Amino acid sequence: MIDVKHLHKRFKLYTKPADRLKEILLRRPFHTNYHALNDVSFRVENGETLGILGQNGAGKSTLLKLLSGVLLPDAGEINIAGRVTGLLELGTGFDSALSGTHNIRTNGLLIGMTEQEIVEREQKIIEFSELGDFIHEPLRTYSSGMLMRLAFSIAIHADPRCFLIDEALSVGDGHFQQKCIKRIKQFRESGGSIIFVSHDLNAVKMICDRAIVLDQGEVVFQGSSEGAVNHYNQIMAKLDKQEARIAARVREENHYGTGEAMIRDASLTGSHSRSHVVSSGEQAELCVTFESTVELESVSLGFMIRDRFGQDIFGTNSCLLKREIPMQPGQRYQARFVLPMNIAVGKYTITLALHSDENHLERCYHWCDNYLQFEVAGSHVPLFSGITYIPTTLDIECQSEENTCT
Amino acid sequence: MKPALLLQFTRQDLIDRHASSMLGAFWTFLLPLANILIFTLVFSNIMAIKLTDMGMDHLGRFGYSVYLVSALLAWNCFAGTLTRTTQVFQEKAPLIGKVHISLFSLPLYILLSETVIYLISMSFFMVFLLIIDFQWSIHWLWWPVIFAVQQLLAYAIGLGCAILGVFLRDIREVVTIVVQLWFWMTPIVYVITILPEKWLPMFQLNPYYHLIDALRTALLVGEAPAFWPLFSIAVIALLILFAALYVGRRLERDIRDFL
Repeated sequence: MIDVKHLHKRFKLYTKPADRLKEILLRRPFHTNYHALNDVSFRVENGETLGILGQNGAGKSTLLKLLSGVLLPDAGEINIAGRVTGLLELGTGFDSALSGTHNIRTNGLLIGMTEQEIVEREQKIIEFSELGDFIHEPLRTYSSGMLMRLAFSIAIHADPRCFLIDEALSVGDGHFQQKCIKRIKQFRESGGSIIFVSHDLNAVKMICDRAIVLDQGEVVFQGSSEGAVNHYNQIMAKLDKQEARIAARVREENHYGTGEAMIRDASLTGSHSRSHVVSSGEQAELCVTFESTVELESVSLGFMIRDRFGQDIFGTNSCLLKREIPMQPGQRYQARFVLPMNIAVGKYTITLALHSDENHLERCYHWCDNYLQFEVAGSHVPLFSGITYIPTTLDIECQSEENTCT
Repeated sequence: MKPALLLQFTRQDLIDRHASSMLGAFWTFLLPLANILIFTLVFSNIMAIKLTDMGMDHLGRFGYSVYLVSALLAWNCFAGTLTRTTQVFQEKAPLIGKVHISLFSLPLYILLSETVIYLISMSFFMVFLLIIDFQWSIHWLWWPVIFAVQQLLAYAIGLGCAILGVFLRDIREVVTIVVQLWFWMTPIVYVITILPEKWLPMFQLNPYYHLIDALRTALLVGEAPAFWPLFSIAVIALLILFAALYVGRRLERDIRDFL
């Protein structure tokens, strides 16, 4: 159980460390304050996983450091039942000249295992890390993946009551990651508490029971992980201005066409999340604003969703959807496509086009590569594998001798 | 800090740093041995200084070697503990920033490891003394006491400087220079009698002068060392230690923030 009450942490920013001494001697402030955490309270029960979301500088790392005791709070209380281990201290004290077994010892002691525990669990740690005979080689011969595997294995075998996980699940290959997640689930079932900090919104939705959102050191949301993700996205959307500028420039460079008709604006919004991060299976709305300078009998507006490898996932256009769009000069139009996002989690882009016919080969007015970006995280439909969700029903009936199908 | 962790750090400091070399842990012994051999053999021949004034002429032709090495080993241990403790927070900053570890007992591993090196060196030295047929006295029992006071002083000053050093980086360099100076201000390689008498009161202010004097009196001359200087140095060292701990606890939050 982790109980945090009214936690405050202020960093005094000095131009140089010596100013702190001057301050003591002259009794005059020489610093500017930076409020990293402001009245943060939350509680994580046994067997519960709490997600923490927040943009860079929101105070996530400070919070984790306070929880692990590396930093001391200015005010407030932290009550933690039992030993805390953080994956943020992954591989602390590793010495590259020494062998894996040596480092298990040092690291184990550092993260709070007793000598006896280390001796007992050493074999399990080596097995879990899948390093085999490499364990007797010096660490400098390890690949970075092997290093992380070893570090993670030690951390996960430290058997703490509370676990702090900081973006560390991206360790090793998929197979190893799955092993880790399985192990973490076991840990949770045995009554351990987990605090999970990540930018991977999908992981937060999947793993966490509840989540809080930090913004500028304050808890701005506390509740279901789904709600937290949506809240977080709204914050991000507001703060995305700079990114939007960059995106605008990219758009500038990636469009072409004859220009009789132009795409002016577009957005993709999940009906539930109200942001550009949607769940698998969620209804999403793609709004496109466009206008023309001349009269056009019929234009075709289309979009193409591509995944992060640039692979076409799905695309269609108004012509294929049997809708005619006649355009008057100077007139603005808005099109609204509504579609269920039956696609796998990941990041996607949308390319938009205005052209004269079913395809853009005849006459292409405006073509905008990767005009929009969006992310699919979490799922409204049953878990599936592959890139797309095809709605599936399942019936099972007992087939005995008498009534076999004919 | 847990004893197991302390021992692990010490071990790392002593043995593991030689792990990738061919001779490995042997270096922990070879380096002090080489030191002893250089000082005893080389200096006995080159610097045939008479130590009659000091009441140590019974040491014979190795007199100066014994005089020098007995003090030099202790000094090396003292200086090593002091300078390395001063730098400990910077050196271990990555660790302090990641796991919860007591700031004030962390440097104990340096104390321990320097002590082990000293003991190894001293055992070689004692073998040398056996070879030259040295006259042992009961006052060798003072040795651990004097050594304990010396290490207490080194730890106290080192910890104080380490705490200040977090805020004032220059402390590290200052300590290195001061330790150099201190070495030459203490009769370790030279004999106090070569100096003008009027300088003596100044030397009296140097705590290490009393320590080295006590050590030589006990080990070489074979008499009980003066009690009061030893006692007052122990008290001063304790005061410095408590002051360092007091300041350290008040500033712990800042120290952790800065590292």
